[in-house]
Amino acid sequence: MKVERREIALGERTETIRQLLHRDSRRLGLISSINGSQLISLVLNPVEGAAVCWETPLQSKEYHSLAPVISQAHWFERTLWDMFGLEPENHPRLKHNLLHEAYSPHLLPLKLDQNLFVVGNGNGSGISTYTSTGTNGNGNGSGNVSENGHCRDYKPMVVKGDGIYEIPVGPIHAGIIEPAHFRFSCLGEVIFNLEIRLGYVHRGVEKRLCEMPWRKQRFLVEAAASDSAAAYALAHSIAIESLFDITVPPKAEYLRTLALEIERAAMHINDLGGLAGDIGYLAISSTMGRLRGIALSMAEKLTGSRLQRNFICPGGVVFDPSGKLSEIKKLAHQLRKDLQPVMTFFMSNEVARDRMENIGVISPRLAADFGIVGPAGRASDQRYDARQYFAHGVYPRIRVPVAVETGGDVLSRAKVRIAELDSSLFLIEQLIDGLPDGDSLLKLPDSLPKNESGLGIVEAHRGELIHMVFTDEEGKCSRYAIKDPSVNNWTGLAIAVRNNLVSDFPLCNKSFGLSYSGHDL
Amino acid sequence: MLRLLGYLLNQGVVTSKEYCEPLSDGVGLPDFSDQPCAGSECNECLSVCPTDAISLISAETGGEVRLDLGACIGCSMCVRACPEETLVNSKNTAVARFNREDLVISSIERKVAEPMPKTKSLFSRSIACRVVSTGCSACDLEIAACGNSIFDMERYGIHIVASPRFADVLLVTGPVPKAMHDALKSCYEAMAEPRRVIAVGTCATSGGLHKGGYAEANGVDSLLPVDLYIPGCPPHPWSIIDGIKKVMAGRGTR
Repeated sequence: MKVERREIALGERTETIRQLLHRDSRRLGLISSINGSQLISLVLNPVEGAAVCWETPLQSKEYHSLAPVISQAHWFERTLWDMFGLEPENHPRLKHNLLHEAYSPHLLPLKLDQNLFVVGNGNGSGISTYTSTGTNGNGNGSGNVSENGHCRDYKPMVVKGDGIYEIPVGPIHAGIIEPAHFRFSCLGEVIFNLEIRLGYVHRGVEKRLCEMPWRKQRFLVEAAASDSAAAYALAHSIAIESLFDITVPPKAEYLRTLALEIERAAMHINDLGGLAGDIGYLAISSTMGRLRGIALSMAEKLTGSRLQRNFICPGGVVFDPSGKLSEIKKLAHQLRKDLQPVMTFFMSNEVARDRMENIGVISPRLAADFGIVGPAGRASDQRYDARQYFAHGVYPRIRVPVAVETGGDVLSRAKVRIAELDSSLFLIEQLIDGLPDGDSLLKLPDSLPKNESGLGIVEAHRGELIHMVFTDEEGKCSRYAIKDPSVNNWTGLAIAVRNNLVSDFPLCNKSFGLSYSGHDL
Repeated sequence: MLRLLGYLLNQGVVTSKEYCEPLSDGVGLPDFSDQPCAGSECNECLSVCPTDAISLISAETGGEVRLDLGACIGCSMCVRACPEETLVNSKNTAVARFNREDLVISSIERKVAEPMPKTKSLFSRSIACRVVSTGCSACDLEIAACGNSIFDMERYGIHIVASPRFADVLLVTGPVPKAMHDALKSCYEAMAEPRRVIAVGTCATSGGLHKGGYAEANGVDSLLPVDLYIPGCPPHPWSIIDGIKKVMAGRGTR
C-alpha cells in the first residue's frame, strides 16, 4: 500500500504522535530511521486502511524518548540505539536489544554516514569515531571496549529483597527452540520480574537486504523467520508492488491468501499442540502432531515446500498450482472435521482448563498500551485484526470473523487460536471454490522507482507484520525495515508472567508463541 | 477418558512404513540430469541463484557445471530457468554427506548418494541428540516433526535430550551468528566424548543467505568440527533422520 510521508519537527514530535494515537483507534506501526539522520514514526489508521510516515530530521544523535508517554515505543528505541546510535533521552530502561558484547562497540550497522553526529573523540560522549577496519572484535575482551571504556554491557533489572533469587535460563534451552536469555527474579515459586534478553539470532538481515538486488530479496525475507515464510513473502511483495504502484491479478491474490491461511492453520495447530504438550496432555499433543502433518501436506501440494518457501513473489506467485487445489480442498475439509473432537477433548478436560484459566493474564488496558497484536491481543479484548483493514491478498474485501476473548489468560489465547484455526480452514475451502481464472504472475520492471517508499501490512499467524521499503535517488533499496508481530508481543510475555508460578512460564510462553528470529532479524 | 482412548485407537497407525520416502509433492534439492548444459551462452541458472551456489567450470556446450548443495536453498529457480533441462528437481530425501566437498555435485561426474555405512559403532543402537538452534526456526520445526507419529524417529533409537551432558551428538541449526558463538562452543565442550556434530540445513552448512555479513554467521564449521552435513532449507524430516542414522552407523573420529 502507498504510504503518505509528512515531516514533523523534533520539538513537536512527542505531542503530535501522542495525540494521534489517542484519537480514533490509530496505531503505532513502527519507529525507526532510514539512514540515521532522521526518525520515522509510522502511524496506522486502520479504519481508513491508510498509513502516515512522520519524518523527523535530526540535528544530533539525542532525541526525546517517546516511551514515557507511549509505552510501546520503548522497544523500538532500544533497537534504534543499537542500529543507528541514536540515543533517546529519558528512556525508562534503555539497554541494548540486538547487538551483544560480542560485537564491536563502534558497530552501527544501519547508519549510513558513520561520521554523522560524532562530536570530538574519546571525550566520553557516547560512541566515538567508527573505523571500517575496526569492526572485528576478534573475540578478545579488550578489543570490544572503546577508548572511553564504553562497551556493550547489559545490565538486567535486579530485584532486591529478602529471599529473592534469580533463575537464569538460556540462551540454549532444554527443548527444540530458538535462543534467548530469560532471567526470572523469584520469591519462592512466584515470578516477580522476567527479564528477556534477545538478539542471539541477530544475523544482520535488514542490512543484507539493502546490499542485494531486489529480485533476490524475497529469498532472504523468507529465511528471516521461516515459520511465517508466507506472511513475510506476502508483506515483502506488497511493499515492492506498492513502489511500482501495480495490482496483481485476482488469481494471484487468491493463491497468496490460500498460502497465508494454510500457514496460519499449520502454526496454530503447532502452538496448540505445544500448549497441550506443556500441560502434559500427550494424547492431544501427539494428535496435533499428526494433524499438523495434514496441514503441511496441503502446503506442500500448493507450493512444493512444507513451509511454503519460494512461492509468493512480487508480481504474484511463482507458479500456478491450480491442478492440486481439489486435493487441498479435500484435505482442508478432512482436517477441519478431524480437529473438532480433539479440540472438544482439549477444552473440556478439567485438569487442562485448570492449568490455563487465570494464568498469564494480561489486562485489556495493558494490551492496548503495549500494542499487543495478533491472537494474544485479541485474547485481551483488542479487536484489531489487520485482515479487516489493510489490503493484502483478498482482504479486506472478504471478511473473516474476528475471534475476540476478554479473559487475557492462557485459556483465552488458546480459544482465540481454536476459533481462528476453524475459520482459516473454512476459508481455505471457500477460496478454492471461488478461485478466479486468469494469470497468476505479473512481470515487473527491472529497476525500482527512485525516491519512493512502499509499505506492506499482513496479518501473519502471530499478528500484524509490517515491511517498509525506501529507495534512494538511484533506485536502489536504501532501507528495508521489518516489524515482526513479536516485537510488540515480547513485552506482553514479560508482563503476563508476573505473579505467576515459575512452572507456569512454559505455558505462558507457548500461549504467546513468539518468534525469536523474526524479532532479532 | 474412555472416549479419548476410543478416538486415539480409531486414528489407526499413521507412522510411515517406508524409510526415506522420495518426495511426492515437494520440490526437494536440484540435481543434474543426463541432458548436456548449454554452456556460457546461456548462464540462466547462474543469474537466478540467490546464493551463487552454481558455478560454470567449462564454457562450451556439454561442459561441466557444479552445484554446491551446501549453499543451495532449494528454491528451484535454476530448475525453472534451465532451458536444456540439465537441472531437475531431485525427489530424493537421502541427501546427507560426511564431507563438505561431497556436497558439490557435478554435471559430468555424477555422484551417487552417500551410502549408509556398514560399520558398527558405539551409537549403532541408540543415539542421544541435543539440538542447538541459531537460526530461523524452520530446521527446528522439521527436527520437531521427526519426533511426531508420522516419522517417529524414536523407533530408530534417536532421542532428543535436554542437556549437552547427556548427548552423543549436537544438531546445530542456523548460521551461528556472532552472539551464539560462545554459547555454542560451551555447549560442545560440555558434551562427553566421543561426540559428534551434525550441521542441519543450508545455513548451518555454509551460512547460506547470511554468509559474509557483519554478524559473522558463516555456518558451524567455522567454529566446530562437523561430522555430517544435511543440506536443505529446511531439510525434509526424512533427510534429518537419514543423516542421524548415518552418524549412528559409523565414521567420525572425535
